[in-house]
Amino acid sequence: MALTFERIEALAPDQSSLAAARKLLKPSYWPTLAEGEGLAWGECQGSGATPYRVVINEADTGYKCTCPSRKFPCKHALALMWMRADRSAAFAAATVPDWVKDWLSRRRGTSNSASKTDDEAKPKTRPSIRFTEIPEAEADADPKAEQRAAAIRERNRLEREAAVLAGLEDLDTWLSDQVQHGLANFVAQTAQVCRTIAQRLVDAKAPGLAGRLDALPTRLFTLSGPVRPSAAIRELGQVHLISQAYRRTSELPELLAADARQAVGWSVTREALLNDSQAIRVNAKWRVFAVLSEAQPDRLRRVETWLWRQSAADGMPQCAVLIDFVPISTGAAMGGYLVGDQIEAELSFYRSTIPLRAQINALKRGAEQSSEPLTLPNESLDASYAKYEHALAQLPWLGTIPLSFRAASVRRNGEQLYLYDDESGLSLPMHTSQANHASPLATLDRIDGIGLWNGYEFTLAWAETQLGRWMRS
Amino acid sequence: MNLTALHAKVLPSLLGGTSRHPLPGDLIRPSSPNSDGALEMLTLMGQALRFERPPTPESFIVEPEIKDERKIIADGLRRPLIRLLTAKTATEHPGRALARAFDQLRLRPHPFDLPLIDAFIRSNAEKLGPTAQHWADRQKPEAETRSYFDPELLDESSWMQAPLSRRVAYLEERRRDDADAARALLESTWAQEEADARFRLLQVFQTRLSISDQPFLNRLEKDRAQRVRALAARFLARLGAGIENPALGACLERIKHSQSGLLRKRTTLQMELPANVKDQAASRWILETFAELSFGELAGAFKVTEKELIAAAAKDEPLLLALALIATNEGRLDLLELVVAGLPNAWERMFEAGLDTLGTMTESERQRWEEIVVHPYRKDVPTTYSLWDWLYRITDAEAPSSVMSIALHAKLLTKVPEHERGSAPWVEMFAATCPASQRQELREQLTKFDQSQTVIPFALLEILDGMENDRTHV
Repeated sequence: MALTFERIEALAPDQSSLAAARKLLKPSYWPTLAEGEGLAWGECQGSGATPYRVVINEADTGYKCTCPSRKFPCKHALALMWMRADRSAAFAAATVPDWVKDWLSRRRGTSNSASKTDDEAKPKTRPSIRFTEIPEAEADADPKAEQRAAAIRERNRLEREAAVLAGLEDLDTWLSDQVQHGLANFVAQTAQVCRTIAQRLVDAKAPGLAGRLDALPTRLFTLSGPVRPSAAIRELGQVHLISQAYRRTSELPELLAADARQAVGWSVTREALLNDSQAIRVNAKWRVFAVLSEAQPDRLRRVETWLWRQSAADGMPQCAVLIDFVPISTGAAMGGYLVGDQIEAELSFYRSTIPLRAQINALKRGAEQSSEPLTLPNESLDASYAKYEHALAQLPWLGTIPLSFRAASVRRNGEQLYLYDDESGLSLPMHTSQANHASPLATLDRIDGIGLWNGYEFTLAWAETQLGRWMRS
Repeated sequence: MNLTALHAKVLPSLLGGTSRHPLPGDLIRPSSPNSDGALEMLTLMGQALRFERPPTPESFIVEPEIKDERKIIADGLRRPLIRLLTAKTATEHPGRALARAFDQLRLRPHPFDLPLIDAFIRSNAEKLGPTAQHWADRQKPEAETRSYFDPELLDESSWMQAPLSRRVAYLEERRRDDADAARALLESTWAQEEADARFRLLQVFQTRLSISDQPFLNRLEKDRAQRVRALAARFLARLGAGIENPALGACLERIKHSQSGLLRKRTTLQMELPANVKDQAASRWILETFAELSFGELAGAFKVTEKELIAAAAKDEPLLLALALIATNEGRLDLLELVVAGLPNAWERMFEAGLDTLGTMTESERQRWEEIVVHPYRKDVPTTYSLWDWLYRITDAEAPSSVMSIALHAKLLTKVPEHERGSAPWVEMFAATCPASQRQELREQLTKFDQSQTVIPFALLEILDGMENDRTHV
């Protein structure tokens, strides 16, 4: 992956970090600058007696700095990347020093995997409670200990199941109260009442539902006033549906049951997914068509990287989303990929009726910016929307989903933009945050593209037009 | 139960509250004996709403058709341009240089980039083509917007539709080509013009003012705007056809007239500043007092030619400053050159006076004006930033090669005072005004600075080079 200013800008937590990095471009700040094996490292003289040690990996823009900054990447890492990008400083070829090797050995791993064999390219597993690997010999040595551990795990699971069910009972009571008082009334006091039940559900170990309810006030207030009450009905209806589905997972198809458990909050770890032989795996070229970032009430930032499959894989998911959570305090607003990047990778999809969320199982080729167009199917917005409706029927609490389209147009009514299908008359209101940025598209005739539909608003992510490519910034 | 029934019977209860509007009892079978069916109704209604397609508005706005024949900037320059225009720059010079380049090269920003460089577009819309102008006007009420077309395609039928500055430039050009036709054009639209437009358009008459303009100017003596009446009166006075310019009397009171020389008597003029005007305020007072005067009026008052007037003032610096300001105001660069020969620090004095416009001078005239005022400093280039900054603000043009040579050969960037050395404003300003032919030389000087200070200047030079190369390949 070539380092570019665009990538560095995107990685920077804020403008002041870039400005601070710019001041460090003077070579005299860097007593050591070296490179080797796809890495670049240096020592930057800060205010202390000992220089900070900085290393970057150009393949995946990984970085590490010994400074105490709470911004990630810090100004030293940004400055080192900058010097690499504009080739302004001389990096001496050198063997990788121990401190760099040490960092490399502790990295989770998709980094240098483009040059590794498939086996090496597999991410290293991190310890987790459920999936910590115990050497066989050790297990053989103490089968009783393993049995005890398994029993403890099972007891914990049962306790959590019971806690969740109890929480769902409280949720039913809470929902009944809201219905009795009226959902028009609910909208006026949504922040307060949702916070209360969300806390109860956190206590009941149902973080998925808790998060959904915690985020509900924000979601409602992004919508226009008149539609909020009906949106509240939609959202609370889904909450009840999930809680009912969870209680009846034994009666549901396996994948829908998995969806219900995930929606309530039973997470599947990355390691579990990668070790799941039943999980869908798709080895293909993937193009990043959208990166969304949203601050959550739990002080984590949810970063979604949406991928579009560029190479053929019949019957396999056309889209995928990689979801990362980073602390808001770091200032980082995106993952490692930029819109337009193309990677070659095997993705593992979480089990779902509508598989979308995935993890990179093995990276065959690192991200590179590509000018190729997206290989969009030849279908209208209306046809694409019909697929959404079909998916909604299969997974009633379906969230955001990509919709591709051909020959649609962007139209304006007042300040509101719509994506409009001339043939069918279908018009999807576009996200209000795009009213400014996407408005030049309203002067064009027909565009092809892709975006994300959340049931209320369409976020246009990518469009091919007669004036060239438009991408959501 | 169908969707209509759900909407009619269930939705009002859910919105208003089932305690006050009970749900019909027979609509759904509860999922458990303990349930009253309300939550099942909530879920069913919610899902029904999710399957409803979003309503289509009754109508959409028809976007105006904009004829923009400028070429869109090359794709490869878009990202650097956005990066530069959204970065924190130390001065406005990079933005002004880019706007000039767009205008001169007849290029325009990519329409998709307009929202990303909105502040730049709004500040420089008139130089960026009709699409950008439309973008800049998008928040204005419809009544205040106008047709959008390329100013280079202006003609007599469309000139009314253009922004005022373009109309002034167009009329100025017409005035040079055919003064009578330009006057006739202005007369035809005069009644529809607002006061500010009337004043600015009338200023154009100082180009090729002639006796044939007199009838039109006579009619303006009854104009509603006082400043238009005053300007018309000045023009008439200059033609010797009206009352004397009232400002002339006030100025003459301050000029002492005498004769000197033994064999041949020569007129000598000397300005006497009012006692209450302190030294530091003298230049500003001179600008305010003499701004309304013309060279011809002043020379006529002393019964000398314009050149003789300059010679008569040769030993009086304040009066020479007044003449330099009058020559600038009238665009008489031939006379300015003579004045500056006796007032080598005219640049600093005009800066002190607070001169803020070069009137209707064309770009080449502004560059010539710059050469005239800077050349006396060849051997001792000033190192005051505010002086250079003013120069490039007031000329709003690329530096003439000869001026840039003076700065580069003097290695000005390395000579500025310690507290200003290498500071971003200097390097940004010179990068923004450097002619293409001297950019390489400037780059060589910039490499001696910290890279942290030259990121913006180098990026700007790259973009300007790119825009020029892009244009030459059309």
